[in-house]
Amino acid sequence: MTSNPRNDWRGARVSTRRSRWRALRMQMWVPPIVGFGLIVLGWQLYAVHNPYIIPTVSQIVDQLRTQPGLYWHDMLVTLREAVVGASCGMAAAFLLAVLMSHVRILERALMPLAVVLNVTPIVAIAPGLVVAFGFGFTPKYIIAGVIVFFPFLVNSLVGLRSLDPEVLDVFTTLHASRWEVLWRLELPSSLPYLFAAARICLPLSLIGAVVAEFSAAGQTTGLGSLIETSANQADLQAVYASVVVLALLGISVTFVVAMFQRRLLSWQSSSRARSQ
Amino acid sequence: MQTTAWLSADLVPRSGAEQVSGHAAQLTNDVSAADDDGVSISDIWKAFATGNENTPAVEGVNLRIRRGQFVTLIGPSGCGKSTLLRIVAGLLTPDRGSVSIFGETVIHAAESKHIGLVPQTPALLPWRTVIENVELPLQVNKHGTGGGDRRPIDPRELLESFGLGGVLDRRPHELSGGMQQRVAIARAFVFDPMILLMDEPFSALDEFTREAQRRGLLELWQSNQKTVLFVTHSVAEAVELSDVIVVMSPQPGRIRAVIPVDLPRPRGSLVGNSEAFHTVEVEVRRELRRTWSQPE
Repeated sequence: MTSNPRNDWRGARVSTRRSRWRALRMQMWVPPIVGFGLIVLGWQLYAVHNPYIIPTVSQIVDQLRTQPGLYWHDMLVTLREAVVGASCGMAAAFLLAVLMSHVRILERALMPLAVVLNVTPIVAIAPGLVVAFGFGFTPKYIIAGVIVFFPFLVNSLVGLRSLDPEVLDVFTTLHASRWEVLWRLELPSSLPYLFAAARICLPLSLIGAVVAEFSAAGQTTGLGSLIETSANQADLQAVYASVVVLALLGISVTFVVAMFQRRLLSWQSSSRARSQ
Repeated sequence: MQTTAWLSADLVPRSGAEQVSGHAAQLTNDVSAADDDGVSISDIWKAFATGNENTPAVEGVNLRIRRGQFVTLIGPSGCGKSTLLRIVAGLLTPDRGSVSIFGETVIHAAESKHIGLVPQTPALLPWRTVIENVELPLQVNKHGTGGGDRRPIDPRELLESFGLGGVLDRRPHELSGGMQQRVAIARAFVFDPMILLMDEPFSALDEFTREAQRRGLLELWQSNQKTVLFVTHSVAEAVELSDVIVVMSPQPGRIRAVIPVDLPRPRGSLVGNSEAFHTVEVEVRRELRRTWSQPE
């Protein structure tokens, strides 16, 4: 058998597609890596000349390397506070959004309160909650939950209302129950909005957890407490090492949400690609 | 994509009554004739609030559709044809008057899943595959028993007979507009409803696809002769498909004329060339022109 020209042509096409894909990946990864590298370089240069203001990059790395257990443990504590708090906050916000989308008067009654909750600085509430609920996990959960509540509520409401009215007509003529409409139509229609909200809310909940730990520093563990106590002791290396861990944690959380989003909303990204 | 003949097999079940009364030759096409067993629309009034005023959309409409008849509502925009269809579908409540679907109120008909709706856009669920979209009516409202002679169709077989056997596991956005609309029709068909309500189902399609869809629908109807209420803007479409054409006039929406279409069935692709077709078409157009020249 000799190779036929059609196969050759196909092979050529595949290889150009592959090289184009490689070029695209280069375009995706090279600029951020270069940008990040430049910032690290600038940091190092500045730190070398100002040792009392910020630690050098190598000092931060050393700090993480000598006490990995401490940072790992504190990170898990902060992650737990953020994830549990955010999950409760988002679940409560979604349930309220479902109620509000069905009972208009509830929306009018409760939306102003939600706005008040949103505009009140979370830093101001934190110490009060610590007094009320002690130094345990409860005030952290509450603060992480409160901080995600409003963005998730608003996005859920928009999402629940984003359904195609003609599909709703089909459900109505089939005499679908409210539960069926919610489960089979409203919830899947709102998923893109819920994921967009989750991508904002989970990093926000990390902020909430850290702020809550600030208010109870010394009494609890967690990266926020570590930052607060280290700063009081002028241990800048520990402060910045914690910041780096927090940043990595935020990136990981966002990445996990994006992964779920891609898995669950494959229908959405491909339909958008087609319509564009 | 198959363009013609999207119903390949005569697998869609017929109920006994439809077989007896539904044949074209037996239809007198007189929608006002009394018939217990069909859809009757009695003295429907409906107005919509616009600002401080009430704009009448439908005023005093009476219509009777017999079992197995294909009735088309045609008229200019604002003549209330879609409003009327939505009232029959139970999506709007009339201010006055009543609708009876095979002796039941609209709510009861919906409860027992007697109404199949094909909206203007395919309105498929983008996260479900083609087969899952067609299965939807079988999963929703399972209590809707719908009488003893109800025979739901196997979704897979139905889609295969629609020429969609090769795309069962695709998502709607991977299909052409015509195929999507066919999926929507299959979805309205799969649970064997007593009446099909179609609100300009082909209006978003291009002319060629539209013609193929029309022919497909014609064949589908021929093989199972469901009662259909069809809304359209297109005179040719109305004449080609219907047993009866109801011309409506706008502001307020009223029935202007009821025109029987005495063209032989089954109607093939050449029906549009016949003398009789043109006679009906001219008559419908004349009535439509009158709705414009004498608004009130």
